[in-house]
Amino acid sequence: MSLVDLMSMAKPNIESRDRILAKLRGRELVNCFQCIKCTSGCTALKLLELKPHEIIKLVNLGFVDELPSSDIIWTCVTCLKCVQRCPQKASPYHVIMALRNLAVEKEAKVPEGYLKAVSQILETGLAEAPQKVVTRKMETVDHECLKLPEINPPKESFQAVFMKIMEEK
Amino acid sequence: MTRIGAYVCHCGLNIAGVVDVEKVAEYAKGLPDVAIAKHYTYMCSEPGQRMIQNDIKAHELDRIVIATCSPRMHEETFRKAVAEAGLNPYLTEIVNLREHVSWSHTHEPAKATEKAKALVRMGVARARLLEPLERHKVSVEKSVLVVGGGIAGIQTSLDLANAGFKVYLVEKSPSIGGRMAQLDKTFPTLDCSACILTPKMVDVAKHPNITMLTNAEVTSVKGFVGNYDVSILKKPTYVDAKRCVGCELCTKACPVKAPDTFNQNLSEKRAISIYSTHAVPKVATINPNYCLRLKYNKGVCGKCQEACEAKAIDFEQQTETIQTKVGGIVLAVGSEVFNALEMAELGYGRFKNVISSIEFERISDASGPTGGKILSPKDGKPPKTIAFIQCVGSRDKRFHEYCCRVGCMVTLKQAILAREKTDESVRIYVCFVDLRAFGKGYDEFYRRARDMDVDFIAGLPSEIHSTPDGSLYFDVYDKGTNKLLEMHPDLVVLGTGLVPNNDLGNISTLFHALRSADGFLLEAHPKLRPLESAMGGVFLAGACQGPKDIPDTVAQASGAAAKAIDLLSSGEIELEPLKAAVDKDLCSGCRICESICPFVAIEMKPELINGVERLRAEVIEAMCQGCGLCSSACPTSAIKIQQYSDKQVRVQVQAALTEAKPRRAK
Repeated sequence: MSLVDLMSMAKPNIESRDRILAKLRGRELVNCFQCIKCTSGCTALKLLELKPHEIIKLVNLGFVDELPSSDIIWTCVTCLKCVQRCPQKASPYHVIMALRNLAVEKEAKVPEGYLKAVSQILETGLAEAPQKVVTRKMETVDHECLKLPEINPPKESFQAVFMKIMEEK
Repeated sequence: MTRIGAYVCHCGLNIAGVVDVEKVAEYAKGLPDVAIAKHYTYMCSEPGQRMIQNDIKAHELDRIVIATCSPRMHEETFRKAVAEAGLNPYLTEIVNLREHVSWSHTHEPAKATEKAKALVRMGVARARLLEPLERHKVSVEKSVLVVGGGIAGIQTSLDLANAGFKVYLVEKSPSIGGRMAQLDKTFPTLDCSACILTPKMVDVAKHPNITMLTNAEVTSVKGFVGNYDVSILKKPTYVDAKRCVGCELCTKACPVKAPDTFNQNLSEKRAISIYSTHAVPKVATINPNYCLRLKYNKGVCGKCQEACEAKAIDFEQQTETIQTKVGGIVLAVGSEVFNALEMAELGYGRFKNVISSIEFERISDASGPTGGKILSPKDGKPPKTIAFIQCVGSRDKRFHEYCCRVGCMVTLKQAILAREKTDESVRIYVCFVDLRAFGKGYDEFYRRARDMDVDFIAGLPSEIHSTPDGSLYFDVYDKGTNKLLEMHPDLVVLGTGLVPNNDLGNISTLFHALRSADGFLLEAHPKLRPLESAMGGVFLAGACQGPKDIPDTVAQASGAAAKAIDLLSSGEIELEPLKAAVDKDLCSGCRICESICPFVAIEMKPELINGVERLRAEVIEAMCQGCGLCSSACPTSAIKIQQYSDKQVRVQVQAALTEAKPRRAK
């Protein structure tokens, strides 16, 4: 055995790593030299302890078994700051997205919010449901009382395409 | 009857690890006219060369084919070996089995071997048509043009001048000294930069063999190795350099402010001023973009003229062109500092207290805008916290992928200087990626910085913010402690890297010196010929070839001088005979070759034929570089490159396309 994490006795899983690399189409997006710029500027770090540099390093070394089932990959708010600032044009964002896809494939626990968003889109075609809003005059208004045009549910063909995308791996 | 000797080199395992060399040698034996074929571990070694020489004598060989590494590597070696055995060196043909075969088809040994056979077959076909060629000797000028008056140009000029060569040193700014003159102290010994540089600048000015031309630019270069005709344009300074004594009375009288480029525009000077405190030549120059009289009206101002006791001011001074002949050229045009404005997230340009490393250098220098006190540019107060940020613009695929090679050491030095010049309560932080202290005494210097309570944070910030009151802060995650730190510095120094000069493109065209992918000038060979450009007689010194610190620059400058001396000292050089040649009977005088030749090596000459005057192309051999453009452009095939005639190339193509029927091996 070439490498062991003595804290958890975990071993690298090169097979899983290569699956992630295949999703990323090669090594280019994980070619990181650990300048830590991504983590220094990470929007999700202060509250949610997301450390993009750590995720990239774990993928590079092959310690990937824990990642898809961890909560941490779901805390990225996709602000893409890390993609813009990375001096090596590596991309923690793309790596995190690949891990999320792997999590879905492995049927690991996906946060409720994401599942809700999926069914929302499937049913209404909208990423966000119409919401109630408080105006400056402190009146609560919603879609109905503003007499906004009705939102039609998406066509069946859209739903079919959407389901197909969901099933693709 | 042609008798060819074919040799296949193993190059250790470089070739033999992929290509079946034995099979290739066996195959070569069966090719027409091949008298002998052998393979050997290292053909370029002494026994390898001796093997060829012995075979030439023993087997009466008259053509040699060597299947080995790139001809760029060892063609010259083998030509010499062949010549020593009494054969014309140009009867040697190199087949490239390393770069073209084993290194590019590492994972396909069987196919690689087939390709190697095909290349050897082509080489043998061509070798049969090779013709003996003679080298011509031409005399050379024993003088050198040095372009750029920084430490590289200064060192090269002094070395050349001391060896008895005449040197023309051309510098575009009003004083020599270059980038090094702007520095406060130098790592790793903390010598004051001016103290070690100024004496050399004075030596240059005083040396009888050096003609120093400041405020000047090279405008045209013609000719060839050993015999270059150059024109140098000397721009007017509007001050008679022979009369000016450098008293600066004019500067005191001048009412117009102008930016001080020597101080990186951190302070202002006058429209007439001396370039820097230790400028050589120490004479005033007028900036025509700011001087009222030169800019607006011939009648106005003139205060400097009134103040000058030496009567040196001359508003009528004109541009001067100097023509001269030189044998060699040393390019020492240096580099520029990365413009941090390009990296918007760090706030350079938006926040006054974010400065570049070269600006820190001026602030720290005793002759700089603050008189050597470390003060924040925004409020002029001493900073309580200083942060250095590394790798700005370098090791960054968005800007420059290479390591700037000096940034780490510059920051260590500046951190130490800041520690020495500020009181103990000041906190100094260095945010870095990898700290590279690789030179002699450099890592000891790193330790010295740690001893002096400089704190190192392994991690770079993503961006710098400003609070409403104008103070700065940034977040940085430290690898060592796994903590996200918020830092509130009063002064941020960006470790800006070195980048190619803006006008390096023009210089590259002017001197036919190629550039590498990083934008710097390209050396003839990265390991074996680092001091020369591919153009004969044009040498490279200092940071124009790649980012360099002072010790490396000085070493390369002396090396380039030695190379120029090596080339010119005997007074004559041998020219490569692989040049264009014209068959006059076929030449129609269309002038296509003349228009296409990048080296101006073709002249059209009138000739009387049957009483009618017609133009004929003629090659100036010494200027021809043998590039072959004319040969491929000529509509009547009248012009050809020696050893690369249509016939010689065609047999090679034929050999590539048809599998030659091998005779049964003897």
